[in-house]
Amino acid sequence: MSDLIAENKPQLRKKREDRAGGWVLARKITQYLMLAIFLVFFLMTKRDGWSPELVNIPMRLDPLLMLANLLASRTFRIASTLGLLTVLLTLVFGRAWCGWICPLGTTLDIFSFRRTRGKRQPPPEGLRNVKYALLIAVLVAALFGNLTLLALDPLTLLFRSLAVTVFPALNQAITVTETALFQVPFLSDAVATFDMWIRPGLLPAEPLYFRDVILFAGIFVGVIALNLYAPRFWCRYLCPLGGLLGLLSRVALFRREVSEPCKGCALCTSACPTGTIDPARNYASDPAECTMCMECLEPCPRSLIRFTPGFSLAEGQDYDPDRRETLVTFGLTLAALALVRSNNFAKREPPFLIRPPGAREVNDDVLDLTKCIRCAECIRACPTNALQPAAFEAGLVGFGSPVLVPRLGYCDFSCNTCGQVCPVEAIPPLSLEEKQQRVIGKAYIDESRCIAWSDHQECLVCEEMCPIPEKAIQMEEQDVWGPNNTVVKVKLPHVLRDSCIGCGICEYKCPVSGESAIRIYVPQTPVPF
Amino acid sequence: MKKMSRREFLRFIAISLGAVTFDRFLTACGLPPTSAPPTSVPTAIPTTITAATSTAPASTSAAMETQEASATPFTKPDLAVARGGEPEEMVRRAVAAFGGLETFVPKGARVVVKPNICVAYHTYEYAATTNPWVVGTLVKLAYEAGASSVQVFDFPFGGSAQEAYARSGIEEQVKAAGGEMMPIQGFKFISAEVTQGVDLKRTNAFKDALDADVLIDVPIAKHHGSARLTLGMKNLMGLIQDRGAIHQNLGQRIADLATLFRPRLTVVDAVRILMNHGPSGGNLDDVKKLDTVIVSPDIVAADSYATTLFGLQPGDIAYIAAATKMGLGNSDLSSLRIEEIAVGG
Repeated sequence: MSDLIAENKPQLRKKREDRAGGWVLARKITQYLMLAIFLVFFLMTKRDGWSPELVNIPMRLDPLLMLANLLASRTFRIASTLGLLTVLLTLVFGRAWCGWICPLGTTLDIFSFRRTRGKRQPPPEGLRNVKYALLIAVLVAALFGNLTLLALDPLTLLFRSLAVTVFPALNQAITVTETALFQVPFLSDAVATFDMWIRPGLLPAEPLYFRDVILFAGIFVGVIALNLYAPRFWCRYLCPLGGLLGLLSRVALFRREVSEPCKGCALCTSACPTGTIDPARNYASDPAECTMCMECLEPCPRSLIRFTPGFSLAEGQDYDPDRRETLVTFGLTLAALALVRSNNFAKREPPFLIRPPGAREVNDDVLDLTKCIRCAECIRACPTNALQPAAFEAGLVGFGSPVLVPRLGYCDFSCNTCGQVCPVEAIPPLSLEEKQQRVIGKAYIDESRCIAWSDHQECLVCEEMCPIPEKAIQMEEQDVWGPNNTVVKVKLPHVLRDSCIGCGICEYKCPVSGESAIRIYVPQTPVPF
Repeated sequence: MKKMSRREFLRFIAISLGAVTFDRFLTACGLPPTSAPPTSVPTAIPTTITAATSTAPASTSAAMETQEASATPFTKPDLAVARGGEPEEMVRRAVAAFGGLETFVPKGARVVVKPNICVAYHTYEYAATTNPWVVGTLVKLAYEAGASSVQVFDFPFGGSAQEAYARSGIEEQVKAAGGEMMPIQGFKFISAEVTQGVDLKRTNAFKDALDADVLIDVPIAKHHGSARLTLGMKNLMGLIQDRGAIHQNLGQRIADLATLFRPRLTVVDAVRILMNHGPSGGNLDDVKKLDTVIVSPDIVAADSYATTLFGLQPGDIAYIAAATKMGLGNSDLSSLRIEEIAVGG
């Protein structure tokens, strides 16, 4: 169609790219650059990686995370003000964050499914207010100390998905390939050398394992799959950060303007990835929806689209949340919070819910869930794969928060990385000496399954592994009843409770199959009267 | 989604089949584990194993030196102990008692030095890991003897290898001496048959250690809960993947491991020894500074002598007893020719 118009008016014939004046190209370069930086920061979020101050920048640039954290924890942290940069950017250029910077947005552009989707009708416009509803829910919940919904923030969603699903799967694929190729005689050396390049620099030395990996992968795949219904479905209808930036964009300086003599060819309408160019409104767009992606510049045969500065409040749309809807969302959020608080975990935490070192003491209770923004940086950085995102074992209030699962990985006595990388100090930044004394749980021996206690065989793995200098597990030779009423001498392990810090290496290394015969538990959790 | 044409369908099938074939090809190249290791592993071992088994157990060390014996003007000891100097000097003097490392390292040999770097928790002063200068000196000596490459590695049980290498100080000394600190790579563990094993018949062992021309075992002498002491033979556990499977009948299985790896030389670092709360340690009160280095081509003899540093007898340690019974070496200290070397007065 554009060719037709161009033929009719030869003097307007201009290459598509030229019409955009390089803006689209500039945006794409910026997008990929930002995504690349995000990925590099992801890789360098690790023990002996780059400075936490550096790799934490993406999370701190996210005003939704920082605002919700501030509301919930009521703790002002100077580093969080970095989020104001994004606010400032939005006040000038509208939702440019979404179109130019957001790594999840770029991911969704890469997996846009343009061809597969075809000419499918987009969902009704009214759906756009879901993101505002989510935004209100996030902020109201934060006001009452709940940050569960931050699991839906685009940055935490992407980071967690990378850490828990993409990265381990990629690592598995590479490991399998390496193992296969290593068997080929003339390739062995090449494989070994290649492996030394990538490990432990980029990939972990040992495979990563996560619980509920299907759930977390499903969420990520689901967000991408929504692109089958409309381009950037997530950004248009659901993203709570998009909602926040959308509200700010209503007073943004730069606006998209369509000047006369527009003939209404509607090419820009079909080019718009967020579908906000409405023929019924003279091809104007809603600044709260426009991501400043500049895609509309290219198809316009007359180059009539401009992004110009001007002070005005954007006109309201039908899908904007009205007072009634806002109040309903408010009420529903409160109801949901009340329900979450009625969960049994709120009264008694599960005894095996081990939290990262230091996290428990802060609140002399549990991991400070009023601070944890669910970004999964600690999970990514944990070198022993001990930290896992909670699915539902910590209650809905703890979704996405870090849980230490000793059977999958122990808390390395020589490591204090998780507290260092946490961008909001939900895990306190302990020095190594402090961390080595922090109690995260206590070990107890399941005597009915322990090899020494129940089989009367010599096994001292737990004692051997214990990193406490004076050993928190001691072996004592005792007489026990053996078969046929005989007395046998066996060395039996005992936990010295005063010394045990609950690092869990004993549970991790216990040779008993399945559940370990020595387990870490939280001996005391305060119970509300 | 649009309908798939016949051509596309065929192309899809062809690509899938290609992928499956490629996969099969890779698998075929790999050979199933039951057949591969026996062909590759024994070739790495036989020279040492046959040398050891074809001679009387008590004179293992002598047997290893037969090719050199005619050229040496003095009687070589079975074991040398150097005391009272800097680690480097003690190692050099003790090794010199055997005619230098040339006796054990042929020109162009690929040498593996296996220290004990079991945890990443402490620096060397805590005597949980082998003294860095003892390891570094052996790397130097190996190159001086004409080794083509010297690799150093261990598979820590607490913390990552990378971290443990750095914290122990061993990485620094090995690199300064020109050696290579090798990472532990999962795919390098290959299933190996322990042909002489009494209890342990098969284990996943680190290929680089099996393939080495010369393996030098450099344990630190220290306390250990289940084995009582961790010495040369116990140190070999760092070369296998599944240590958990070893822990029952530990003494016999450690002795079995010694038949698999057969170190050419054992250098027991007793510069500092850990008297209690091993193997990880962490308390300087448990550390005793002895400034002693024990060197012997007979791993059983070296371990046996080291027990006396703790006031124990060789027979007190299960794996020494098991190894003696299997004829892997001599644990009768009174019958050993021991050269005592006082370094630096």
